[in-house]
Amino acid sequence: MSLVNFTTREITCKIVYYGPGRSGKTCNLQYIYGCVPEDRRGRMVSLATQTDRTLFFDFLPLELGSISGFTTRFQLYTVPGQVYYNATRKLVLQGADGVVFVADSQARQLDENVESLQNLQANLLEKGVDVRTVPLVLQYNKQDLPADLILTPAELDDALNFRGVPSFPANALGGEGVFETLKGVSELVLRRLSEEAPP
Amino acid sequence: MTSTRVVEPWLRQPLERFVTEAGARLTLIMTPAGQVLAQHGFTRAVDVMAAAALGSAIVSSTREIAALIGEVGFRALNHQGVHHGIFLAEMDSPRGRLLALVVYGSDSLVGLVRLFFEDLVRDLGEACPPEKPRKPVIAADFERELNQSLASLFGR
Repeated sequence: MSLVNFTTREITCKIVYYGPGRSGKTCNLQYIYGCVPEDRRGRMVSLATQTDRTLFFDFLPLELGSISGFTTRFQLYTVPGQVYYNATRKLVLQGADGVVFVADSQARQLDENVESLQNLQANLLEKGVDVRTVPLVLQYNKQDLPADLILTPAELDDALNFRGVPSFPANALGGEGVFETLKGVSELVLRRLSEEAPP
Repeated sequence: MTSTRVVEPWLRQPLERFVTEAGARLTLIMTPAGQVLAQHGFTRAVDVMAAAALGSAIVSSTREIAALIGEVGFRALNHQGVHHGIFLAEMDSPRGRLLALVVYGSDSLVGLVRLFFEDLVRDLGEACPPEKPRKPVIAADFERELNQSLASLFGR
């Protein structure tokens, strides 16, 4: 649940970038880190293998600015996408206020996307959380690859977006769609803070 | 210079007392998700948010290793360096499971930290008021401010 400090008027939210291996989760954070002014972000912490694959998580604190008089901070995390790191994925996922599912648009990666989305659902359920209650957006990354290698956003929506959540085409390496994705998940997360808690 | 930041006022007194009695340089109280509820001590020397994220990851992964070998859990762990040590521990509170990350220097000892940590757990339990139902925190029409904030963040 988002942390609200009424004394200092600060809100802190945890956003987790989830998805299959090499879909571009770390790339999203690296792009954000690179284009956000230094005074609006903290240090990016990456626990990676020697070959730069995410081993545990990447972590990037961001200061969004003032929303309704509250200084709003987002803590962005990525999970390791590789199948055999599921235990660490579960740990990073705990306490997430919102999730960005980064799908790889390549047609040959469709099964990995479906498997990872099912894995997200299973890991949330294990923590007693119904995926339908979590603010979630989908990002269809690598849309810059040749058209014959990738699925279109509409095709990916058909295959992955059965909940009809906001989805964003992206090329995280070049930055396209990164901002829109963050904006999309921010809106969903903050929307919850503008509503009454369920009884 | 020492500083204190707390999300809720009831955390302040037990935390300040603990840091003084245990001779700690810095103590963070955080959620299992790594969000800092309270901090007291020499915070300028440490990137607090990164330390909390890493500390909660250590506690979480240690807990999972404990489960793998059939242990209920390891309540605390300690790493001693040349100039500083860290003490990481879980505690049950009326608000659920919380974590503490204590940084101490050569002017304290892990035994002292452990000793007063028990008092901290008790004091927090006694000080914690019942949780109130959450009310709307931000205005319903927050989108314009969010869009402006994000646009300035990304230089658009």
